Amino acid sequence: MDLHVLFGDFTVRSVALGAALVGTVAGALGSFAVLRRQSLLGDTLSHAALPGIALGFLVSGSRSLTPILAGALISGALAALLVLLLTRTTRIKDDAALGVSLSLFFAVGTVLLTYAQRQVGAAQAGLDAFLFGQAAAVLPADLTLIGGVGLAALLALALLWKEFKAVTFDADFARSLGLPVLALEALLTLLIAVAVVIGLQLVGVILMVALVVAPAAAARQWTRRLEGMVALAAAFGALAGVTGALVSASARGLATGPVIVLAASALVLASLLAAPERGLAWHAARSWARRRALGSHRVLVDLLRLGQDHRDPAYASEQGMLDTYFGGPTGHVLRRLRRRGLVERVEHMPEEGAHWVLTPAGRAQARELQAPFGGRRDEDENR
Amino acid sequence: MTVVGGVHEPALALHVEDLTASYAHQAVLWDVDLNVPPGVLAAIVGPNGAGKSTLLRCIIGAVRPNAGHVYVHGRPYREQRRRVAYVPQRTSVDWDFPTTALDVVTMGLYGRLGWFRRPRRTEADEALEALAMVGMDAFASRQIAELSGGQQQRVFLARALVQDADLYLMDEPFAGVDATTERAIVDLLKDLRARGKTVVAVHHDLQTVATYFDWLALLNVRVIAQGPVAEVYTAENLRAAYGPRVVLLGATEGAAPVAASVATAGATDRGTEEARTPVA
Repeated sequence: MDLHVLFGDFTVRSVALGAALVGTVAGALGSFAVLRRQSLLGDTLSHAALPGIALGFLVSGSRSLTPILAGALISGALAALLVLLLTRTTRIKDDAALGVSLSLFFAVGTVLLTYAQRQVGAAQAGLDAFLFGQAAAVLPADLTLIGGVGLAALLALALLWKEFKAVTFDADFARSLGLPVLALEALLTLLIAVAVVIGLQLVGVILMVALVVAPAAAARQWTRRLEGMVALAAAFGALAGVTGALVSASARGLATGPVIVLAASALVLASLLAAPERGLAWHAARSWARRRALGSHRVLVDLLRLGQDHRDPAYASEQGMLDTYFGGPTGHVLRRLRRRGLVERVEHMPEEGAHWVLTPAGRAQARELQAPFGGRRDEDENR
Repeated sequence: MTVVGGVHEPALALHVEDLTASYAHQAVLWDVDLNVPPGVLAAIVGPNGAGKSTLLRCIIGAVRPNAGHVYVHGRPYREQRRRVAYVPQRTSVDWDFPTTALDVVTMGLYGRLGWFRRPRRTEADEALEALAMVGMDAFASRQIAELSGGQQQRVFLARALVQDADLYLMDEPFAGVDATTERAIVDLLKDLRARGKTVVAVHHDLQTVATYFDWLALLNVRVIAQGPVAEVYTAENLRAAYGPRVVLLGATEGAAPVAASVATAGATDRGTEEARTPVA
C-alpha cells in the first residue's frame, strides 16, 4: 500500500494521530523520568499494568478502554508502592525492588490474561494486543480517551513546569522554597504512569518503556536546556509513534510496538553518533583533529630543538633524523606544515634526502608551544 | 515557655530547640539546641557523621525530625521561609542537568513567584545581578556541566543571594573550591554580615574556622558547645567533639587566646608554630 492511499484511509489517519499524541506525551514526560533516573520505574509501571488490564476487562465485562486503562493505572501504582515499601522497610535496593515488583505483577498479569481470554468476547476485546501493541485494535472511541487523557497530562506538565523543574534538579532546595516536594514527586510519577498507560494499546506492556526512555535519551544529546530537551523528546516520540503506526498498518498483522521501538532506537543511535558536543562522531572528529594538531606541534618543537642544539636557528634538519626524534614517519606532517607556511624544504645535501627548516612564522609558533615547558631561551639564535 | 505559632526568642536569628532526628532508628541528632544571634557568621563544625548536614536539612524541612522546633527571627520557620536561603552541598545535585547558570539562579525566585507563574524579564535581570555579585555574570548562559567546581559553588551562592534572605544556611560552601574562590566566598559572607544578614554554614576545616567565622557550634550528634568563636574554640571542646585521639596543637593563627593557652598547657610542649589540623 503506498503512503498516499494509506493516509487517505480515515482509520489509519486517526490511528497515526493517536500514535503521535502517545509519542508526544511519552517523550515529554519520559524526559523527566530519565533526568530523575526513573527509567526502570517506567518499565515496572508498564509491565505491572498487565494484571490491571485483565482485571479491568473482567470486572467491566466489556472491551471499553476506560476500565481497562483505569485498571492498568491502579495496578501500576500498586507496583510502584510495592517498590517503595520494599526499599523503605527492607535492605533491598532500588533496582532489585523494581525487578521483584515488575516480575511479580507481570506473572500475575499473565495468569489473569490467560483466564480472561477464555471469557466470552475476549477475542473481540483484543486483549492480546496489549502485549506487543496493535494499532489496528485501536477504535475511534479509544482514541478520544487516549487523546483526552494525554492532553490533560501535557497541560498539567505545562502548568507545573517550573515546580517540576525545581524538584527534579534540586529537591532539597525546592523544599526550602516551601514547595510540597513529596506531592510534586508523586504527581510527576503519576503523570509518567499516565504516559505509559495511554500507550499500552499501541506499544504494548513489554516495550512501552522504550517510548518513554528512548526519545528522551536521544533528545538529551542535542540540547542544553530542559525546554529544548522536552520539546525535542516529544517530537522524537511523535515521529517514532507515527512511523510505527503507519508501518504496522501497511503490513498485515505486524505488531505496532516493535516497529515504534525500532524507530525510536534508530533516533537514539543517530543522536548518540551525530549530536554536537555529546555525540560519538563529534568526539571522534575532535580527538582526531587534536591528535593531528599534536603531531604538528611536536614536529615544530622538534625542529626548533634541533636548531637550538646546533646553535643555528636556520639549521636544516634531515627528515630521517626528524623521524627518529619523532618516533615515526613525519613526511605527511611536514607537508601539512609546509602548506601552512610553517616549514620549508631545503636541498641541503641532495644525496642525503630531504631537509627541512622552520620559517620565521614556524619558529615563532614553535617557541610559543615550547614556552610553557621552559623553552631554552639562552640558546637562541643570538648566540 | 514556648508559645507555638507565636513569637518566641525574637532576639535570635535562628533558634533550634530539642531537635532530634534519626535514620533507621539510629539517632543522628539528639536533643539539639542551637541559638544564633543575628548579624554573625556562624560555623557548624564536627566530625563526619556528626549530623551537620542533617541539622540544616531538618531546619529547612527536607528531613522530618522526630522532635523539636525551629524558629527564625522569633517566628516558626514555616512562616519565615522567605527570609531563609538554603545552599545545599554542591555534590547533592546532578550537574549534567540540561540548564544554564542563569536558569539555576532564577530558581531562587520561584518561591516569590508562586504557583503557575513563569519567570520573566525582571526575574532574569535580578538573577543576572546576583551572578554579577559572585563574579559569574559572564557565565550566565553557560551550560552548568561546563562550569568548574568553584564556579558551580558560586552559582549556588548566587541562587541564595537572589532570594534576598535574612538568614543563609550553607552546607559546606568551601568544599572542593580553589583558594581564589574560597577567598571570594569569604568576602561575600563578610559582605552579607556587614549588611546585617546572618550566615550559618557547615564547615569542615578547623584551621580556618577562627579566621572566617565569629560564631561557632561544635556538633557531634549533640551540641558540644556553642557561642562566640573565641570562647568555644578550645582544646577541651574540640576533644569533646572529635574524641580523645584528636591531635590538637597550638591554636592556628587568629585563634582565641583561650584555645592557645589550653593547648600549650595540655598534651604538648612543641612550638606553637607547628600548627596542625586535628585528626580524628
